[in-house]
Amino acid sequence: MLQTLAFGLSIGAIYALMALAIGMIYSTTRILNFCHASIIMVGAMTAYWCIGVYHLPYWVGVLAAIIVNTIINFIIYYTCLKGLGDLLSNVNWIITLFGMSVVLNNVARMVFGANQNPFPYLFNGASITVGDATVLWHEIFTIVFAVVIGVTYQQICQKTKFGRALRAVSFKPQTAKLMGISSNLIIQLCFMLAAVVAAIGGVLIAPTTFASFSMTTTIGLKGYAAALIGGLGDTKGAFVGGFLLGLIECIITLFIPAGLKDAVSFVLMILVIIFLPGGVLSAKIFTHGRSATEKV
Amino acid sequence: MARLLEVQDMRFAYGKTEVIHGISFYIEEGEIVTLIGANGAGKSTTLNALSGLQRIASGSILYQGHDISKESPQSLVKKGIRLVPEGRQIFPAHTVEENLLLGAYTEKSKDAIRDRMESMFNQFPRLRERRKQFGGTLSGGEQQMLAIARALMTEPTLLMLDEPSLGLAPIIVDEVMQLLASFKGTGLTVLLVEQMANQALEISDRAYVLETGNMVMDGTSAEVAGDPRVIEAYLGNV
Repeated sequence: MLQTLAFGLSIGAIYALMALAIGMIYSTTRILNFCHASIIMVGAMTAYWCIGVYHLPYWVGVLAAIIVNTIINFIIYYTCLKGLGDLLSNVNWIITLFGMSVVLNNVARMVFGANQNPFPYLFNGASITVGDATVLWHEIFTIVFAVVIGVTYQQICQKTKFGRALRAVSFKPQTAKLMGISSNLIIQLCFMLAAVVAAIGGVLIAPTTFASFSMTTTIGLKGYAAALIGGLGDTKGAFVGGFLLGLIECIITLFIPAGLKDAVSFVLMILVIIFLPGGVLSAKIFTHGRSATEKV
Repeated sequence: MARLLEVQDMRFAYGKTEVIHGISFYIEEGEIVTLIGANGAGKSTTLNALSGLQRIASGSILYQGHDISKESPQSLVKKGIRLVPEGRQIFPAHTVEENLLLGAYTEKSKDAIRDRMESMFNQFPRLRERRKQFGGTLSGGEQQMLAIARALMTEPTLLMLDEPSLGLAPIIVDEVMQLLASFKGTGLTVLLVEQMANQALEISDRAYVLETGNMVMDGTSAEVAGDPRVIEAYLGNV
């Protein structure tokens, strides 16, 4: 049971990181980054290339993944989003982002091949035995690291000048401009942060999914599910949604065939969208009946 | 006195529909100028163009002698042009203090920001009491004071206000107008846009009347306030 729990939480941590990165971009641009799963894949494949093929140190692989992801995210921002003009008034980004994700997946297939490549666990796969359960240090580290990233991001949002500006752009983009905030710069920084989170998420999930061009096709969708369950753009929500989804999936497979696992996540997502469109945290018991603070 | 702002033959179009048909006006340093007009006259559009939010189709906007019609809102804020937008636009989930800090976003010096914040709190004691409260929880009048204080955080040269009386109780409107009148002689130049023009005309030096994208009248506030057409259309029976 403990083993299942640890695995569920570590998968949940990955979902949470995806939901967090999707939320970072959504909060400032109101855009759902349909390309995010592919970015994670690119990061993981880059890291695999450095570590598995060229036998460079682990940290070099992570660093390369971060750099490559950042560059690709900037390219995506300029080609798929900014080039379309005013993003608040058109939705063509759905097509361009989806298209970019197809392009990235296929380029990755051409460059890296279609193999499922093993990827090393952190700490060489060392584990700790508690009772009759064996928990990988990698899983524990994944959970801790995801929480650290989440808390750090939350602190940046609440305590720094960049965070204040980010929230300002996300609430009232026009008024933010009147404050002298360059929303373009803030959005680019969000894309950069999302790229970094994607790279880290990719490296952490790769040992479980194996590194391949299609490693994030299913798991990527779960990221969106987690983001929607937790409430889009809400940092705490991303973690609630991510961990909830990871845990439910792992516990449910103890009772139903594993093949139905993915169906459960999406049914859950659909139920949340129908009954709590603002995400789980928008439920009355969490807001104590207070609604949005907005007052016109 | 030198002209701080001079707008010449400014035209503005949304797509192909021209909504401002070549207006010209000027503001001298230290003046309070009111721009009167009904709904849809083009008042807010004019202010958006002056603050860099929207691009004009033709004409020029000279500020301190330089054309600013192609500059971004950020660079205009740095040059001392601040707009208090219609409906106040307080950041609802930022605290009062954070709203003020956002107002000082372009200011690099932490000391200057602290001094400025202190002086705002002295001027608006209510804001000091509520410094940790979310902007969205303030009353309309408090939000308007916060919106003005937020714009003053960078010590602007030209302060523009888009319908500051909108949705406020008459007694609060008085307060806002007294505040604006108190800026006189401090070196701050004010461009005030209003639909209900009584009090605005009382505190301003000169006024312009904008009607469906054309400037139809200008003069000292007393002249404009005394014009029968203005009395009928904008001042009502007082």
